[in-house]
Amino acid sequence: MNILLIEINPFASATTPISLGYIAAYLKSNGFGVKILAVGEDMSLSCSGFHELINSFKPALVGLTAYQRTMLYVKGFAGLIKSIDNNIKIIIGGPQATFMPSSSFAVLADIDYICRSSGEVTLLRIARAVDSGTPFSDLLGVSYKDSDGAVYDTPEIEAFTDLDQYSSPYLNDVFDYSCMREAIMLTSRGCPHHCIYCYTPQAFKHKITFHSVDRVIEEIKWISKKGVKRLWFADPNISFKPERLIELLDRILSENLKFEMWMQTRADLVTKELMKKMKQAGVKTIAFGLESASEQVLTKLGKHLAVEKVAQAIRMAQQQKIDVELFTIFGLPYESFDDAVKTLEFVKKNNVKIMGNTNSQQMQIYFGTHLAGHYKDYNIRPLNTDRPAYISIGSQYETEYIRTSELHEIQNMWRAHSLDGGKRIVS
Amino acid sequence: MIKTAIHKIYVILGKENKGDLEQLSRTLSGLFSYVNMTSNLYLVAGNLPESMPQVERIQKDVIKFLRENLFARLYLHFVHAIPQTTVKGIDYYFQYYYQYLKRETREFDQEGYVYQEVPRFMLLPVIVPGNRLEPALLITLLDTLKGDFMLPCLYLDRSVFFLAQDKDLMARTEKVYYGNDDSREPAAIACNMFNGDLLNDSLEMLTSEDRFVPGPCQASLIISAQDGKVYTCLDAFRKNQSLTDIYKSNSVDALMTLYYEHGGSKRDCLECRARVPESFADLPISQRRKQRIGALLCHFGTLYHDAGDDIQAVEKYEQSLKLSLVQEAGHINFRLGLGYTNIGRFDQAVKAFNNAELTYQSQYYFHFYKGRCYFEMGDYQAALSEFLQALHLKPQQEDLVKILIYAGSCHNSLGEYEEAAVVLEKAEKASGHVKEIYNALGFSYFQLKNYDKAIEKLLMAVEIDPCSAVDYASLGANYREKGDFDKAIVMYEKALALDPDMILASENLERLKKRI
Repeated sequence: MNILLIEINPFASATTPISLGYIAAYLKSNGFGVKILAVGEDMSLSCSGFHELINSFKPALVGLTAYQRTMLYVKGFAGLIKSIDNNIKIIIGGPQATFMPSSSFAVLADIDYICRSSGEVTLLRIARAVDSGTPFSDLLGVSYKDSDGAVYDTPEIEAFTDLDQYSSPYLNDVFDYSCMREAIMLTSRGCPHHCIYCYTPQAFKHKITFHSVDRVIEEIKWISKKGVKRLWFADPNISFKPERLIELLDRILSENLKFEMWMQTRADLVTKELMKKMKQAGVKTIAFGLESASEQVLTKLGKHLAVEKVAQAIRMAQQQKIDVELFTIFGLPYESFDDAVKTLEFVKKNNVKIMGNTNSQQMQIYFGTHLAGHYKDYNIRPLNTDRPAYISIGSQYETEYIRTSELHEIQNMWRAHSLDGGKRIVS
Repeated sequence: MIKTAIHKIYVILGKENKGDLEQLSRTLSGLFSYVNMTSNLYLVAGNLPESMPQVERIQKDVIKFLRENLFARLYLHFVHAIPQTTVKGIDYYFQYYYQYLKRETREFDQEGYVYQEVPRFMLLPVIVPGNRLEPALLITLLDTLKGDFMLPCLYLDRSVFFLAQDKDLMARTEKVYYGNDDSREPAAIACNMFNGDLLNDSLEMLTSEDRFVPGPCQASLIISAQDGKVYTCLDAFRKNQSLTDIYKSNSVDALMTLYYEHGGSKRDCLECRARVPESFADLPISQRRKQRIGALLCHFGTLYHDAGDDIQAVEKYEQSLKLSLVQEAGHINFRLGLGYTNIGRFDQAVKAFNNAELTYQSQYYFHFYKGRCYFEMGDYQAALSEFLQALHLKPQQEDLVKILIYAGSCHNSLGEYEEAAVVLEKAEKASGHVKEIYNALGFSYFQLKNYDKAIEKLLMAVEIDPCSAVDYASLGANYREKGDFDKAIVMYEKALALDPDMILASENLERLKKRI
């Protein structure tokens, strides 16, 4: 049985769809035929071309990654797939799907399942069910809609705590390397913190799980053989266990693996020694989450990080000549216009170039975050109460402390200081 | 492998004809299945009031397609002149044309708002202003359009280039297209817009890849609503090589089958891309952009050079020099010198190399190439000086031998046979078996009357190349001077067997035979 996995982002060049890669590798190693389609702005894909793909590959199951900003396109592709072959089952997964209200199924006519748990194990179960001709029996980790349109939520399915149990997307060769300039690595998953605006800690139940260093090195060697020269580590906190990161960097050095690397971590999880090692191993850029330079705002976000700690981390990186990126957001709870300006001033004062990921953006209130469930407690007022159930508040809100016009003003201030027009890479 | 999707469709509108409009509408509606997920449709009209029924009808078709296909995004650019020069006239345009078209698309703005993204349907009016239109009026119009969620663009021909100097106007313009002529014919405008996009595409590729090889442009179609002809790209349009006629054949699937059979727009893409930048050189664009165009021309020059077309390469380098940064001049002049050398214009090559001297003087290969030009011009003293300079800069082993051979040949030409022999012996030691070394050494020793040594070297030369008539003739001359006439006759006969027209050999052979 064949399974097609699709990631859509019509607003940027397609990147390595690492999460789909893991699912594809896992399904492949369990005997299914899998194809990944990463649809970026640079991809050439027409309605007729897509017909051709479906008719030749003949998937019985199609998985679509859903983000808030791509929901319309997800719906569009689902509709197109069903119009080609109504028997194909469609599942959506990813950040927008995990905590999407089950009630939204009513208006998602062409979607059969919403993935709620770990993608690999959930999809394998569904694939087996579809393959056996009983697509809705013995499922876990999903919401599904039967042929009468009734919605069912199944119990969760436990993800592996040892990430090495998941097949490697690289070692199982599920990606097309011909256009890959940068390989995305995911050496750990999850985050134990409690930042109220973030989806990740909730999705991973405030736990963090890891791959072994051996497995990561094996993948990096494979990527090196394929001629890719840049690694982008998507781990939310790559230095959560500093000794593990040092071991990884040491192995990269001792195995003579030459890469330009991008990493992100918390500013309170770095030391001078670690930065020095990072530089030696080829880390070109490190990104820290600042969010706000107002202590008063920051303390209310559950981030438990002092602004001065971020400034120290920036200096440490700059001393090693590592480029710094700072993730910041405005429109945070309790943040006034002046507080938001303070963040911009902090970035400028600390000589962090305003470009790429340092371009700020308004906070997005996504499903699953603490804020999405408690926005009223933070005096957040959604602007569009008439949105479909599968769309979260996103950026359509104002707070008691900042109005829409001020949010636009802040956005414009950041754009005016931006070196690249203000387009952020990571949302 | 999924077939390429069409990214851009340019429709050159003509006078309305109901039957034709029906067919055009059917064709475009059919083509929407083949367009990319995000695509651009350019409707190029001469006169908006005349073309309005066509624009309106096509917009309706687009809306229908987008409603049915939620994954699709389309940017509609409608290009038209604005002959109005008064506030009232402009207001009339806004009310009766722009607002009317915009009203039909509001649902997509609403959809964009709900999904918190850029709307899937965007209207981009491309205004072709007349030279009597006041910039202030134009600014008012652009502001009004922006206020109504349209993204206004300008198409400036030569008669209105002065508008490009108006900073307020430019700040309000989403994009500026340039026409390097005064033509306001829709076909010429479409061509110039295509050119502009092609240039941008090449510049982007140059930025992202150092050694980009020009491939086909983004898959496009040019449709002339005036005569129904369809072209696969700008090159085909320029050469009037249409794919089909939509007014004669009404099957879109057949059209696309033809498109894919013809390999889309895979034509002489280098030629097409390379001719575009020069037309932008004298447009009122920023200095920075001109410099980037200069870098692009230099890159095209290198591609022509690599393809063995040095005449084109030289042309591109010359154009590049006029636009590029002063810091780049040395680099371009060096390449220009190589180009001139390859087409035998050695005096111009020397001039170009002289202009590259500061940048390249520490590179041995620079002196080698320059020396070769002097050598070909017969200035052996200057050539020798460059070759010695190259040797002084410690060339790589593979180049060392070539330089030594040239240096030895210079000494020979200057009558410095002993020096020639010393240099050429070094070459022999460095490389071993190279025919040119033995040939030149044979000459040096002959002139030094060391006939045995000359014969030894020339025998090595013919061992490497048994078909070298000139080396057999030289062997003949050496045996003759030694008095070994029989061997000399054999050698001359071999030379003539290989080259019956070698007069020197036939005369010497005749003389020797008579003497015997």
